[in-house]
Order: sequence, then C-alpha cells, then structure tokens
Amino acid sequence: MSIADNALTDEMASRDDMIVCRGVKKWFGDFQALRGVDVTVKDREVMVVLGPSGSGKSTLIRCINRLEVHQEGDIIVDGVELTNDLRNIEKIRSEVGMVFQQFNLFPHLTVLDNITLAPIWVRKKPKAEAEAKAMELLERVGIPEQAAKFPGQLSGGQQQRVAIARSLAMEPRIMLFDEPTSALDPEMISEVLDVMKDLARGGMTMMVVTHEMGFAREVADRLVFMESGDVVEVGTPEHFFTNPQEERTKLFLSQIL
Amino acid sequence: MTLTTTDPNSARARHARPPLWRNTAVLKWFVQIIVLLAVLAAFWFFAAQARNNLSAKGIPVSYDWLDDPANIQLGEGIQTVDDPDGRRLTMSRALWVGMVNTLRIASIGIIAATAIGVVVGIARLSNNWLARKVSSIYVETLRNIPVLVQIILWLAILGSLGKLTVDSGPIPGWVIVSQKGISIPRVFFADGFYQFLSMLAVFAVPIWWVRRRMRRTQEEQGGTQRIGSVTFALSLVAVVIAWFANPVMAFLGPVFDGISDAWAVIPQGLMQAVLSIVAVLAAVTWIRRFLDSRRTPAGLAKLIDDDWFRMIFAGIAALLAVFVVVRGWPGLSSWIINSGSDLFGVIGDKFGDGRGSRPLDAMKPTLSEGRFVNYGPTGLTMTVFYASLFFGLVFYTSSFIAEIVRGGIQAVPAGQSEAAAALGLNRRQALRKVVLPQAFRVIMPPLGNQYLNITKNTSLGIAVGFSEIVQVGQTVYNKNSQTLAVFSIYMIFFLACSLTISFVVNTINRRLAIVER
Repeated sequence: MSIADNALTDEMASRDDMIVCRGVKKWFGDFQALRGVDVTVKDREVMVVLGPSGSGKSTLIRCINRLEVHQEGDIIVDGVELTNDLRNIEKIRSEVGMVFQQFNLFPHLTVLDNITLAPIWVRKKPKAEAEAKAMELLERVGIPEQAAKFPGQLSGGQQQRVAIARSLAMEPRIMLFDEPTSALDPEMISEVLDVMKDLARGGMTMMVVTHEMGFAREVADRLVFMESGDVVEVGTPEHFFTNPQEERTKLFLSQIL
Repeated sequence: MTLTTTDPNSARARHARPPLWRNTAVLKWFVQIIVLLAVLAAFWFFAAQARNNLSAKGIPVSYDWLDDPANIQLGEGIQTVDDPDGRRLTMSRALWVGMVNTLRIASIGIIAATAIGVVVGIARLSNNWLARKVSSIYVETLRNIPVLVQIILWLAILGSLGKLTVDSGPIPGWVIVSQKGISIPRVFFADGFYQFLSMLAVFAVPIWWVRRRMRRTQEEQGGTQRIGSVTFALSLVAVVIAWFANPVMAFLGPVFDGISDAWAVIPQGLMQAVLSIVAVLAAVTWIRRFLDSRRTPAGLAKLIDDDWFRMIFAGIAALLAVFVVVRGWPGLSSWIINSGSDLFGVIGDKFGDGRGSRPLDAMKPTLSEGRFVNYGPTGLTMTVFYASLFFGLVFYTSSFIAEIVRGGIQAVPAGQSEAAAALGLNRRQALRKVVLPQAFRVIMPPLGNQYLNITKNTSLGIAVGFSEIVQVGQTVYNKNSQTLAVFSIYMIFFLACSLTISFVVNTINRRLAIVER
C-alpha cells in the first residue's frame, strides 16, 4: 500500500478515484515547490491539506485545475489526465470548482451576475434558468437578499460565500478550497465553515487547504501533512490528533494546536 | 441620561453661529468670489493693454474682417473656392473649413488610433512570442520618434509614389494610390436616405412592442423566447421594406417646410419670454431638487450657510440669464428663431419628391485635369497632406494608447483571470467579460488625455500644408495682421473640442466606476 492510499477504510477504498496525483513535481525557476507528490482523493471524500507556509500545499491544488502547470508526474481528475490538451483542461475546469483565499469575485458585476456568468457563457444556459439556479444557491449559502449588490458592498464572509455559490453554479463534482478562511475576520470564519460543512455532508468531493483544525477534525475523512514540497504523512483525523507518527508532523501540530 | 436633551434652545446655544470672519462656509465662498473677480480683472487689464497697444500701431483688434472675401488658397475641405452660384468664400467661411478639416482628422484619428492601440496593447501581453515582439518593436519605435518627424517622413514616402492616373494603385479604377493621395470608392447618403431613416423610425415602434411582449411572456411563463433572433429578423424585414418603399415618406418634406415657416413667424418677444421662463424654471427645479436631497425621513434637515449660498447663487444665475435674454443680448432670441427655421428648412429639403430613389449609393474615384475632384460625388479621397498628418498622428498616438491598454490590463489583479479560468471561461471570454471591463476603469482617464493630444496635435498639419484651423488661421493673420483675433478663435475652438472630449470621458468614467460601498 503506497503512502497515497494510507488510512483508507475498506468502504472508502472501494470507491472511484476522483483525484490521483502520482510523483507530481513542480519548479518555479530553481526553486522546487513539489518534490514528487503522491495523493489520491476518493469520490465523496473530504481531504484536508496541512502544512507550514511554503510547503507547496497551495501549489498542489492549483496544479489540479491547471492554474499552475506541473512539470513531471501525472495528475488524473475523474479519469481525465491533465495534459497540454486544451479539451482535457476545459473538461476538468468545468468539473472542478475552486475557492480562493482572496475570494476573487468580479467587482464590476453584481452578486447575481458573478454567479450566472460562467453558467451562461460556458454551459450556455438561458439567462432565466441560470438566475433561478443562482438564487437557489444564494439561498443555500444564506444571503439571497444580497443578490443585487456589488461584491465591494459585502463583508468578507459574505463575499466568500458568494464565491462558493459561484463555483457551485457550474455544478462541479470536485471543490478545491485554497485557504478559504485565511483572509477573514475571526467572527466571519464560522459562517463560511458552516457552508463548507454543509457541502461535505451533501457528498461533495473536496480538497481543502486550511489551518482550521476544528474543521479538519470534524469534517475531514483524511488529512495530508506536507512540508517542503513532500507529503510527510497521510492519515485520519483521529490518527493525526492522537498519534502522529512523524517527528515533523508532531512539531507542526504542537505549534498550531 | 443627562446627555440626551432634545431641547432645541440648548442645542442652539451650544452651536452658536461663529462671527463671519471665522465662519468657514462664508470664508470659502468669499475667497472664491475674490479669486474670480481677480482673474476677471487681470484678464480685462491684459486685454485692454493689448487693444491699446495694437491701436497705437494702427491695427485695432476687430472681428469685422470675418465677412471679407478670403482670397486664400485652401488645399482641401468642404469649400475651397467661391461657389459660382452660391456661397462666397469669406474669411469666416475659410476658418470654418479649417475647423471642419481639424475635426475630420481628429475624430477619425481618434477612432483609428484607438482601434490600433487596443490590438497592439493586447498583443503585447499575448502568449504568442512573435505577436509580443512585433508589437513591442512597434511601440518602442513609434513613441520614441518625434511626431513631427513622423508626419514629414510620411509626406516624403507618399510623395515618392507614382504619378496620379486612374490606373495607379492596386485595383485600377477603384483604389488609387499615387503621389497626390489615396482614393477609394465612397458610399454616401443618396436622395432617399432621409425618407429611408424616417421609415425605419416608424417601423421601430411595432418591433419594440413585440420585444416587450415577448419579454413579458418569458418572465411570466418561463422558458426561453428567441427575442434576439426575432428582433433581428423583424429589423431585417423593416430595412428591406424601407429600402424599396421609402418614397412613401416624401410627404414629410412639406411637413418640415411647414414647421420651418411656422418657426420663422414666432415673435421675438415670445421667444424671449419662453427662454426667460425656461431659465427661471431650471433654477426653481434645481432648488427644489436640492431641498429634496436635504430632506430626511424626519423632515427637512437644518440648512447650513453653504446650502443657502448655493440656492441664492442659483437664483442669481436665473435672474442674470433673464436679463441677458431680455436686455443684454436680444439677438440671441432672433438667432434661435432664424437658425431653428433654417434647420427645419434644411431637413425639409433633404426629403425627395416621392420618386423612387436609393437611400445609399456608391461612387468610384474620379479625376479631372489630372487632379482629384475635391467636391461633389466622387470617391473617398485622402490627399497626401491629409494622409501624412493622419498616418503620423494615428501611428504615434496608437503607440501610447497601446501602452495605456497594456497597463490597464496588467492593473487587473491576476486573481481575476484565475477565477475566470477556474470557472471554465476560455481566454477570450475571460478577457471580454472579466478583465477588459475592469481594465477600462484604469484605461479611460489616460485615454482621454491621448484623445486631447491627438486633437491638439492636428495643428502640426501646418508643417505639411494641410488646411486645418491653425494653418488657415495663420494665412488669415498674415494677410490682415489680426493675430490676436485669430488666436482668440483658435483658443475658443480648441477649448470647445477639449471640453467636449473631457465631458464624454468623464461621463463614461462615472458609468464605469465600481460600486464599493
């Protein structure tokens, strides 16, 4: 059993692979950000990625929808290999949603237009249908009354919830979260985490880079600990928080818990 | 709970009115009025000095020469010589021809420089190595050579072309390229055009009604109606019908003539009264709106001194306008009456006599005595003078616009393109829907500056003998020594151009502004 499949229950192991990374390497100039990463995320699994800053965790999930291009190794998303083939990239991007640390909402569009932009232009949905779906999603993240406002008029927590709704509007099978709560004021973190927990319970496959240990403990099926571009340890929350094996993991957890 | 007193007397006691010399609202207005008066006084002083000095030399400043015959050699324009049976080419008419030439080159130049600049600016950020390098070389070369050198270089290049004949150029008879200039076939508004337009306006009403009905159906019943396609199809049908049936609308000619006649008999007193009422109504409306903006749910907010000053000024402005209309400048009213009548008369003349006529027509380039025909139905001609000024200005300015566009696009955070890519938008969609709309905010103000530059730089036409306003004006004051009068005309003309451009750019800017809170 390779490190990538560590700590899977039998039931989980029998599910399909949604994201497979095999020996993924990535350089930024001379600096090697990923040194051969092996990770597998199963269908409907919630995978939390931990690690100190500069460990390559953001780079890893940005490689999965090709915002960064990996130089060696394979990345296979829902059976489609990520190569230079534009068709594969488009297929993967329309199936993988991503939520950013800085929200990256489109400031010149209203909340509703932010959400309907991709469904209308990528999925070619009629406007009325896209808007109905958008209102449904805003309902789900708890801010339907903000539909006509512009992103600059919302609080950070509301903006991040809009960003989640915007990703969900494309009906993705996988959601990537790149430190979704790191730019938020403390009192707004829980409203975003609640939405994410709700998503996880709904059976979404998720890969989450976060420092929110409470969220990791409660929601994650497995955790990955990375350092300096390597996967150090993979395990269940229980394993991580009671009995981590590696010295580096223990040191990291002792610093942040 | 001692702080929450609502007794108005005690509140007023604490906010006692400061003495005038310490009241910021009073001081602000006082200083502005003083500065305004000082500026007017200085202007008056210098104008009087200049007038006295020039009178002493025997060349008093006047504008009487505007109606003199021009006797000027104009290179090109809407009128270059006395019409045999129409308008004489007076000094004022010659200056007007120069202004039209300036406006022609500035407006077309702005459009061309923007189009080229946007393409080059985007190409500088392309992933394509060749496009990136070529556009970099374009920008770095053109913006680092003085524009005057470029204009003269173009004149030299174009002047080295072959002699002008009907067959010179890539497509003999149709496209002429020669040392006298470039000419292509021109599409122009023919006799039926205004009938065609008015017919389209009539058809627009039912099309608009159908659109509204379809939209309402869509809102009520859901589903998708093909609103866009239906509108397009109906418009196409309307254009085809109007193209052939436009003589029906010829009856509008006499209608406009009637309006023209009716307008002409408006008594001057009535026009003065109407203008005065409009001025007073405008002030009253302004004051009412202003008071509305100071109204809160709890009633009218307490007006501060500043507010009173504004309302008083609005009132004074209205009274001043009434005075100007009634006593100061009675000619204004008769001018409005005369030009209004002229305007409707001109529109009336545009309508044909009901016989079948095409709205649009085309004309091949024509020559007479080895020259381009300057006037009347002929091809669309760029003389070498026009072309060298045009190419010089457009290419030079487009290199700056390219840099502005590149800077604007790069000012949009990378996260925006990433978010668009993560949602599955392709590069073109991301550029059009996400990046460019945000880049426009950054691009617009410096772009407006370039538009002002291109307009002002048309005065370099003097170097190649293109008859724009400065060149024509120079010829005029060389003849009659009315330098100051001509320069005052320059200033007013360029100021009007610049203020128009600024106004348009500022309006667009306000529309594009991102709502922050």
